[in-house]
Amino acid sequence: MGTGNAAALRILVVEDEALIALELECLLDDLGHVTVGVAGNATEAIAMGRSTAPDVALVDIHLVDGPTGIDVARALSADRRTTVVFMTANAKRIPADFAGAIGVIAKPYSERVVASTLDYVADRRAGRHGPACPDGFSPAPV
Amino acid sequence: MSLRSESAPPLATLVDAFARSPSPMVITDARAPDNPIAWANDAFLQVTGYTADEIVGRNCRMLQGPATDRFTVERIRSAVQAAEPISVELLNYRKDGTTFWNAMTITPVNDAEGLAFFYAAQADMTYVHQMEVSMRGTNDELERLVNARTQDLTTALEQKTALLHEVDHRVKNNLQVISSLMLLKARRTPEGEARDALQGMAERIGALSTAHRMLYSEGDCTHFNLGDFAAEFLADMNAGLDPERRRVEADVESIAVAAAMAAPLALMIHELTANALRHAFPGEREGRVSIVARRTERGIHMTIRDDGVGVAAAAPNPAGFGRNLVEMVVRQMRGTIAWADAGPGTTVDIDIPLQQPA
Repeated sequence: MGTGNAAALRILVVEDEALIALELECLLDDLGHVTVGVAGNATEAIAMGRSTAPDVALVDIHLVDGPTGIDVARALSADRRTTVVFMTANAKRIPADFAGAIGVIAKPYSERVVASTLDYVADRRAGRHGPACPDGFSPAPV
Repeated sequence: MSLRSESAPPLATLVDAFARSPSPMVITDARAPDNPIAWANDAFLQVTGYTADEIVGRNCRMLQGPATDRFTVERIRSAVQAAEPISVELLNYRKDGTTFWNAMTITPVNDAEGLAFFYAAQADMTYVHQMEVSMRGTNDELERLVNARTQDLTTALEQKTALLHEVDHRVKNNLQVISSLMLLKARRTPEGEARDALQGMAERIGALSTAHRMLYSEGDCTHFNLGDFAAEFLADMNAGLDPERRRVEADVESIAVAAAMAAPLALMIHELTANALRHAFPGEREGRVSIVARRTERGIHMTIRDDGVGVAAAAPNPAGFGRNLVEMVVRQMRGTIAWADAGPGTTVDIDIPLQQPA
């Protein structure tokens, strides 16, 4: 899957469900990206964000310590080097300002949407002009 | 007083009747300065608490107090000055300072030389006013109860909505876990039949997931749009295909169906499409699968067609799980299905009745 020409991204996975996290890691690997860490709670996620400064953080909203993914997104997106994307079955929890995230991938997601969203993020980060927003990915309001 | 009626009883009898009447009555002398009280009956003395000595010779305004309505007093004054009859309600004060609501009718009385007296008949309306006040209290109480009940219902609705969101969230999360579980196991299984089966299952779960994602994403959680589903499903299917050799195309109308039909319809479309891709194009054969769905008078008509080798020419498939699954799901939706060799390829026609107009 994936286009294969997207630049490899360094990705932090913030997901408390071990199975989902593990499968996502495999998928990211297949797509040619690098998983720099997996965090299941807010404290861990924010600490990992500081120590690894990832290109992308894929953030679930419900973590071990409650709906703290929002706080995680806010903290991680404060670092300009990191692009935050929510990945959740609970998109209704996302605040109006998206807590600094650029959008959301709705769970249950398909591999295609994860792949095309990461290509889109890579394009954006590379400053390529106006990449088309992939379907299945809902961008934050501008 | 001038009593002209020919059949009128003697004056003494009338005065006695007035004096003993339970209705308070008072007569003022219109010719004396400041229109003083000339006579009052016992009922009047009883209501006001004064003795006759204390009131005769004084103006009726002695019964007014700080809470008496100035505007009403002014109306009485004007009427008296113009010698016109008037009916008003006024808050009066007893001798002991307590108040009562006095409904009075003041009538000017003429004699041969003109205006002589004012006659005022009165009624204590205090209890009527109390009733109004208590009625207002009852209304307030009812309103309070209605507000409380509305509040309860609003809270109950909010809780129900929260519960629906929670269940929706869990269903989606569990679908994600199941899908991840299948794919993880597939990754760890050597290439072959077992791995294909696991990947096939993950794909079916993917189709169900797409249906679920669409079901609650819009405000309406009782309907499912087949057209939206087809668009999303198509994108997922084609992402796994080599676009040079194989394509899936869809022409599906925007048809709203009941939420309960989302899962069986999603499974059916997936199964027919996957089946065609799996069996119609052996080896490197190129091909196309098309999905067409139209709203009919009775429900939905769907045609899934491929330009492959056809049912008869396809490799025998003893398990035939996909086809069994489709027939089962169509039966569940009380529909009919017909498979035909189209030369080239296979055509599957399905009719599914819809209960309610979409």
